[in-house]
Order: sequence, then structure tokens, then C-alpha cells
Amino acid sequence: MKPSSQSEVTSSVVSSVTPTENPVPNSALSNLTRRELIIGGGKVAVAAAVTSLFSPFNIYVKAATPKSLSFWQFYGPGGGSKMQDQWFQDMVKSWNSSHDVKVDLLYVPNQEYMNGSKLQTAFASGQGPDIFIISPGDFLRYYNGGVLVDLSQYMEDAAKKDFFDTVMETRVVDGKIYGLPMEVEPMAMYYSHKAFTDAKLSEADVPKSWDQLIEVSKKLTKKNQFGCLFETGPGYYQNFTWYPFLWQGGGDMVTPEGNKSAFNSPGAAQALKFWQDTIKQNVAPRNELGGGGGDVVGNMVAGYCAIQNLGIWGVSALREGAKGFEYGVFPCPTPPNGKPKSVLGGWSFVANAKSKDPETAAKFCVWALGSMSDDSIGRVVDWCIKAKSDISPRKSALDKATQLGGYSDGAMKVFKDEVFPTGRGEPRVPPEVYKAVSDAIQACQLGGANPEQQAAEASQNIDAYLAGYSGAPLK
Amino acid sequence: MRTLLDAPSKVEKRPVMGRSGPRLKRSQREALAAYLFILPDALGLAIFVALPMLFSLSLGFFSVNGFGGFRFVGLANYQRMLIDPLFRQSLWVTFVYVLILVPALYVAGLGLALLVNRPMPFVGVFRSMFFVPNVVSLVVVALTWQVMLVDKVGFINRIFEFFGVSGYSWLGDPNITLYSILFVTVWFLMGYYMIIFLSGLQEIPREYYDAARIDGAGPAATFFRITLPLLRPTSFFVLLVSLVSAVSGSQAFDLIYIMTRGGPDNSTSLVIFYIYQQAFQFNNYGYAAAMASFLVLILLIVTFILFAVTKGGRFHFT
Repeated sequence: MKPSSQSEVTSSVVSSVTPTENPVPNSALSNLTRRELIIGGGKVAVAAAVTSLFSPFNIYVKAATPKSLSFWQFYGPGGGSKMQDQWFQDMVKSWNSSHDVKVDLLYVPNQEYMNGSKLQTAFASGQGPDIFIISPGDFLRYYNGGVLVDLSQYMEDAAKKDFFDTVMETRVVDGKIYGLPMEVEPMAMYYSHKAFTDAKLSEADVPKSWDQLIEVSKKLTKKNQFGCLFETGPGYYQNFTWYPFLWQGGGDMVTPEGNKSAFNSPGAAQALKFWQDTIKQNVAPRNELGGGGGDVVGNMVAGYCAIQNLGIWGVSALREGAKGFEYGVFPCPTPPNGKPKSVLGGWSFVANAKSKDPETAAKFCVWALGSMSDDSIGRVVDWCIKAKSDISPRKSALDKATQLGGYSDGAMKVFKDEVFPTGRGEPRVPPEVYKAVSDAIQACQLGGANPEQQAAEASQNIDAYLAGYSGAPLK
Repeated sequence: MRTLLDAPSKVEKRPVMGRSGPRLKRSQREALAAYLFILPDALGLAIFVALPMLFSLSLGFFSVNGFGGFRFVGLANYQRMLIDPLFRQSLWVTFVYVLILVPALYVAGLGLALLVNRPMPFVGVFRSMFFVPNVVSLVVVALTWQVMLVDKVGFINRIFEFFGVSGYSWLGDPNITLYSILFVTVWFLMGYYMIIFLSGLQEIPREYYDAARIDGAGPAATFFRITLPLLRPTSFFVLLVSLVSAVSGSQAFDLIYIMTRGGPDNSTSLVIFYIYQQAFQFNNYGYAAAMASFLVLILLIVTFILFAVTKGGRFHFT
């Protein structure tokens, strides 16, 4: 039967349902006209729309006692490295078993965490994580945004002194600690034994100067292989890998006071020219395989390059991803009259000052990495020599890791004994300063621009920005 | 004939929702019904499109640090656009990108459509093959082409090497990389436009071609005198959609984000990518919003010109 009106439809539907099946009284629906239904429905829709429109303003209501804190990072659960994933899960399990306020891990893929918008949009909408990890390159963004908690108020003096000064330099403002490093990651050069043997080179040919590196790379360059590889993609990481070459010749980004540019210098220009020369002489590629210049398995192990500029994390990457691959490590070569220098990277635990419970978030960071308890020190040791391959940021943990044989031979020994002592903390600069330097590197390395001119232009841009800068000092 | 609005007398006698008052005229009732029908869609547009646009427009007048800090700065963000060399460069890159992409998509889409519009064996397979890239995730497309275009060992370089050409860096040379991105974009999108052109071609009555053949028209004359003029509505749609998509960089963003990150030397830094950088990497949300508003203005102007030239997309064939 084709119903002739909505009221008839409603009536017929309602009448076909037995009273026990229908919790709504019959009269309520059967008395509705089509017009009433439309108008009523419209009101509900408008009410729903208005409610949803203003709902963002309701989410700022603070919960009385949070039951859990979120911890965003790019290791686990479900990360690429089982051991690192397990380390994070064990740490959180240990905390959760002895504390009322629990911690939940949230894994964000590495690329999304570093170059994506997840963290930024979360903070912009007031939904940032309670605990997260940052590198020194990003420190000022968060510190100047007022979202970092002073962790030193929860730390013992002995623990504060246990961290290396060079490592803490870029995490401290006015004597207060705003980030606790879990690792120290110096940069060096890795080389493939097979590539050296194939080119009839030996350990004695390992380059010590920039000129030697280019000469050796020429011998290693073949039809399907580049002699050496430096990062080519623009971004924080490329700047990070370039800093040692800038510092080796006495160059710097800003003055020691941090209020003026120091980039227009011979040291900067020669470092820009060195990377340019590797491209001009066809010994280094203009782009990389795999995950980029930080991926040793995707590049050196794959035979794409014979020498790769890489951080200490490459040791664990090779241990897990290319067992049996024979390689060596040497400090970054230096320019004429230059000094050996490396950059000390690494990530820190930080607590969100706008968290539901910033105090507990800060206490978690200190409990995990910054207390004098055996657990805390042992956790740093495990991370640096078992889960990953890093230099410990704490003296006590470095001693213990050394006793356990974590730095007794091979690449780890070179990193600890030869590279780490020449290291300087990764600079903390605002994004505008990093971008000016990044543009100069890109223009010279891949655009073939004049290094002196680019150093001068970048310096002008840095000065123009710093003239109006207010925030924590640059370092 | 009874319509839905000719409600049965039983209903008409009742007061509306319990109210008493003057009854609506039939035209008013029809208008009300029409508005109620479009209400859900209008609400969706208002909440998810118009409101964010208004918010973004107003954000351009503030300095926003990304952590809840807002400071009114008037036109400062717009003034900054005028002196920012990177913004000017991104405008130029976008201009070149649009200038090449729109005609290239038109030619590639139409060419493929003409090819697969002919009766031949396995024509369905060919149509599917050309369309397949369009259903693949852009991330997968970008990663695949990145490996294929890498220096020395990439598949593309191997092919060129076979013909005695070597030494090109498709993703590492600032003079070439934008064209590599354009190539991948055309490869990805041409199947979609092929389908649109194909539907346009199949609407052209067969009799026109028969008559032209009897009159002695060759393939070129048939194409320029019959096919192309009768495809004008389809062409308008293709040009409009590809133009908006190219200016806003909706497809290019994913490719650039994965394959080049705006490099080398900012050579693939389209406006949309620079806006992303300013917002999410430098925390300059206000400045990014000002640039986004400027981009919308450009889109409006370009669309207006296109509508004006084609008289709103209305075509007369007589």
C-alpha cells in the first residue's frame, strides 16, 4: 500500500509494532504531523550544530584528578626497533606499577613527529601531550611558547651535577633545567670496509682533512656508487649535520651573547664551499635512498655510498638492520688549520606546563632519567648501550656503561674516546635563524651559489630577525 | 496532481506545533520546505567551510605563537608578505607550476581519452591502466617515484643511461626538480581527466562525424571543427578544476612534502608548502593565515576571469 501522507506512514509504522517492543508511547509519534516533524527535526539540528560550534570552548574545563598522562614519542609501542620499543614499554610499566597517575605511550612515526603537524596542531588546540620529547633544535619554540616545566625543582643536586655541562647547555635557561636528555648523539663519518677494499684502499687512507676526503671519495666513486654522502634534504637535520664543519673553521651562527649574527665569516663560507665541492666534483649525491642521510642501511649498506656522514645511532641501526656488514668510523675531517669538532645531538624528555597535571608529568621525567636511584641510572645505561647506541648524558651512567663494556671496542669506542670529547651541544635557535642557515646550505650545496655571498645574506636575515627577538637566549 | 505540500485536510486543520496564527501562503510554505531541505548541507558548509575560512581570515590580523598566544598586529602580516623574498619565490614557483600543469593535464587527459575512445580490443583494460595511478595513495606514488628518480641508480637514470645520457639529478638539481614533480603530477592525474574527457566525447552524436566524413573532412578537420567545439563544456570543467587544484597545490603538496621538502634550494616550494612551513614548522600561524587568504584571493580572481571569459561556463553551439 502506498501511503498518501507522512502521518499515515507514521501511524502505520507505529501500529505495526507491539507495545512491548516500543518504549515510546504511541501517541507521541502518531500525533506528529509532517510539519511538526520537520520543524522539530530542524530545531534538533540547529541545537546540535550550535552545541558542536561551541564545544571547543568546553574542552578546556580542567579535570579534577587525571588518571593518566599521555607521552608522545617516536619509539613505541609499535616502533621500528623492537629493543627501543621495549625499553619505553618497560619504563612506563615500571612507573605505572608504583604510581596512581598512569602514563600512556603514544607512538608518532618519526617523520610525522619531526616534520609533520601532529604535535604543533595538538598544542595549538590546547590538546598537547603531557610528556613529550624534543631535540635542542626545537627547544626555543616550546620554551618561548611557555609550555615547558622547570624540571630542576624536582631534582636532587647530585643528579643535576651528574649531567655533562656540554649536554645541558642548550636545555637550561636561568639555571633551570627544562629538558632531561636520554642520550647524546655525536656526528662522525662511517665507511664501508668492502668499498675501501674494492678501491684498494686501507685504514691508512681514512681521510683526516677535507681535501683528503674529496680525494679518497673520488677513488671510491663508481658507476653505481658515490664516494661520500652528506644530507641533502632541507630541514633541521641537514643543519645539524653541517654544524661540525661550520665550527671546525671557527664559524658560528650567532655571537656568544646570542643577540647578533656571526654567520658572515670565513669559517661559514668555507664550510658552505666544502659541501658544494663534494657535489661539484661528483663524489656525493644530490639526493639519498631510503630514509635520507640519517639512514645508513638504506644508503651505505645498499652500496649507494662508500662513506656516510652519520650520527652514533648508526651503530645500533647496523647492529639490527645489517648484521655482518663490516664498517669503520672516523671523526669528521677538518679544514686546513681547523680543529676537530662534532655536534652533540639527542632528545630530551620534557613536561608540558599546560598539562592536566604538570607536576606529575615533570616528576615522571625526573624519575625516568634524572634521579640518583640505581633504576634511573640503569635505565640511561640500558638505553645508551643496549636498546640504542649512544653516549650517556650522565657521568654515572657513562662510567657504568663503560664498565659493562659498552664502549670497549669498534665504533662505540671511537665515538666515546675521539668524537665525544670534541663535541658541542646542538645549538638552540629559533626557526627563522635555522631557516636562514638552511637556505644558505641549500643554495651552495645544490644551487651552486657563491658561499661568501650566501653567508652574508643569511647573516643579514639573522640580524633582521634578532633585532626584534624576545625569548630565551640563543646558544 | 497532488504534491507533497498539498497536505491532507486532516493535517491542515491542526495548528502548527500548537501555535495559532496566520497561515503561511503556499509560496512561503514551498520556500520554507526548500530551505529546510538544504539546511543540513548548509549547516555543514557553514560549520566546516565558512567558519574556518572566517577564522583563518581573521587569524591573518594576529600574531599567533601556536601555544594559545594571540596578539593583534593589524596588517603587519600582509606587509611582511610584500618584503618576504621566500614568499615571492614561492609565488613564482607556483606560477610556473600552474602555467605548465594546467595545459599539460588538458593535453594528456584529452589525448588519452581520444586514444581509448576508439573501438579496439581490450579497450577497458587500457582505460583501467591509465586510471589506476589515480587510485593509488599519493604517499605511495611519491615514495615510488622518489626511488625511481634517485641519482645514478634510479630506474629513470638507467633508462637515460641506455640512450647515452647520464649525470642528471631529477630531484637534486634546482633547475630540474620542479619539472620532475610536474611530470609525476601529470602521470598521477591524467587518468582522472581522461575519464572526464571520455564522457564528454561519448556525448557527441555520432551523426556529426558521419556527416563530416561524407563531406570529406579529414581527421584534423574533424577534431578541430567537431570534437573540440563540442567538448567546450567538458574543457571548461577540466580547466577550472585543474586550475584550482594547481593553484591550491592540493596534489602537489603531498608529493613535495615527501619527495623534496620544498628543496633543493626552495625550487619546489609552492605557496601551499611555504604556508605549511610557516604554520607548522615556524609556528607563525598568523602569517600563514595571511598568505592563505592571499591565495584564496588569487583563486577567486582566476576563477572569476575563467567564468567571465566563458560566460559562466555556458556555451552555445549554434
